[in-house]
Amino acid sequence: MRIARLFQKTMFGIFLLFGIIALSTSALCVYTVDRQLSTEYVANSRTIAQTIANSSLDIILNRDLSTLQSLIDQFRELQGIRYIYIVDEHGDWLAHTFVPGIPKEILEGDRSPDGTVERRLPGFGEFVEVASPILDGIAGSVHVGMDKGLIALKIQTAIGQQIYLISIIFIVSIVGAYFLVNLAAHPITQLGGYTRMLAAPDAPTTLTADDARRLLERDDEVGQLARIARHLAHRAETPDSRP
Amino acid sequence: MIGHTIGLVPAVLLAAAAIWAAPARTSPGNELVVGMSAAFSGASRGLGIELYRGSMAYFTEVNRQGGVHGRPIRILGYDDGYQPNAAVQNTLKLMLEDDVFLLFNYVGTPTVTRVLPLLKKYERLHFTLFFPFTGAQPHRELPYGPLAVNLRASYRQETRGLVDHFVDIGRARVAVFYQADAYGRSGWVGVREALSARGLRMAGEATYSRGTKFTESLDRQVAILQEAKPDVIISIGAYEACAAFIRDARKAGLDVPIANVSFVGSESLLALLQSASAADRRDYTTNLVNSQVVPSYEHTAAPVVREYRALMERHAPTPPAGFGTDYTPLPYSFVSLEGFLNAKLLVEVLTRLGPEPDRARLRTVVASLTNIELGMGAPVGFSADNNQGSDAIFYTTVRDGRFVPVTDWSEWRR
Repeated sequence: MRIARLFQKTMFGIFLLFGIIALSTSALCVYTVDRQLSTEYVANSRTIAQTIANSSLDIILNRDLSTLQSLIDQFRELQGIRYIYIVDEHGDWLAHTFVPGIPKEILEGDRSPDGTVERRLPGFGEFVEVASPILDGIAGSVHVGMDKGLIALKIQTAIGQQIYLISIIFIVSIVGAYFLVNLAAHPITQLGGYTRMLAAPDAPTTLTADDARRLLERDDEVGQLARIARHLAHRAETPDSRP
Repeated sequence: MIGHTIGLVPAVLLAAAAIWAAPARTSPGNELVVGMSAAFSGASRGLGIELYRGSMAYFTEVNRQGGVHGRPIRILGYDDGYQPNAAVQNTLKLMLEDDVFLLFNYVGTPTVTRVLPLLKKYERLHFTLFFPFTGAQPHRELPYGPLAVNLRASYRQETRGLVDHFVDIGRARVAVFYQADAYGRSGWVGVREALSARGLRMAGEATYSRGTKFTESLDRQVAILQEAKPDVIISIGAYEACAAFIRDARKAGLDVPIANVSFVGSESLLALLQSASAADRRDYTTNLVNSQVVPSYEHTAAPVVREYRALMERHAPTPPAGFGTDYTPLPYSFVSLEGFLNAKLLVEVLTRLGPEPDRARLRTVVASLTNIELGMGAPVGFSADNNQGSDAIFYTTVRDGRFVPVTDWSEWRR
């Protein structure tokens, strides 16, 4: 069924509106989720780094480093943590979780015992690295790397879910709008046909006598316009009615 | 009536004599159940299965002869796939549900280091871990040392021996390829300390993830170590990953000696390398040195080796029920010999414990064991301060498709 030209603009408007809604809410979602997750991940990393720093002191001082490795391996299993390493106060390695080896960027880069740094490690990904000193730094430091890729993945998931919801609402709205637009467009199309029939009674038309009768019987604006058109046509046909 | 009764006396005496002479009868109700959690599946299953088989060869013989004080010994084994969490779950089940008498033959450092705190937590139940198949330190030192009894030498001793031998022949640039977990770290520390004692530092290091298969590529690890230009590489790993590393290293032209510690599972490693050698038409088995903590099973002059071989043949122990259906058991191996020696020493402990076994007395009995001739090259002994029975290390290399003792290190002289 063809949509009346008048209402094609309405449909276009609905598309445009939904587009703006989808874009603006997605942008807001990216911003909000990114900010919240990044803050939360850094806070979690800091907590984990501090926990390891506190519990590793006794191990470093009194026990074998395999126990320390066992400890960090357990934390490595937490979602989002991609690597953990511990160095002593001289920067010598005590334990780490890197496979196949310690990245050069970390071997040669800054290993500050405190604070947060962002790292891009070729072959590994992008990370937020949080450090925590052990015994105020005199026994070394713990470094925990959180995968920024996971944050991006969470954002993608959140946006994906939002777009999925908007798409469903959009499809329902389009179907509803199409139905409503059609409901309004059909009598107007009939009205157009009726007025053309009044203007040229001999011209071919798809409007049947029943259609015309139902149109004139309508009690809405379309019915009123049809009756006015019929009245004007009658007046135009009656010679004595002309001024 | 009396005459009839008197007539029965010889028959009763004969019956009594027969009962006394025959092996003590045993019943399932009085058996000694020892709990074992090990890798019976996955990339390291060969270790768990062979350790179990070696122990079963000896236990089966002991049970055939009536058990220990009339009690047969049974291994209740659970598979942990060499995964720490599974080992913890298995141990809880063995201690709290199955109520085994003791824990025995656990395989691996990452698993054992996670189980030790459980033993501490349930210390009041007096569970002791006997002869774990790992040379790591946590169960040799406080606070967990008193909860475990070790037969084998430590990784520190193995790695120190390897480092000393190689440095002595001019190979001072030592690199380490290791499993990224507590086991690998334990060996890494051993190498580092041995080098440090000689004023040296590690030339380089590369790691792999636990569970790595032989079919996987270890080219990245090879590239890292190639860059370090080592004179020798010490591997702290399991057979599938170590074999894959040796294969890829040789393919890349890295021909320096590669040494493995006892945990690797030498025969399984060799079998993989031989299959790859045949497929690629090149020899991947040269320049290998494996340290062992038990004597060679080829050393048939040793009575214990003859006994081991005889019982392995006689009882042909199968893998634990439900496992190893697609696994071909090895006729002899260093791992099953270790399992055999573990079982032999455990039977000695249980025998000395007496007919009314009490878990709480186990450690006292172990501490009283001195100068036990187990066939490890030197007498085995313990004390209140020493929970490791043997310090013996044996070095082997591949000749004619099998591991033989290293007699001359100069062939690797630089």
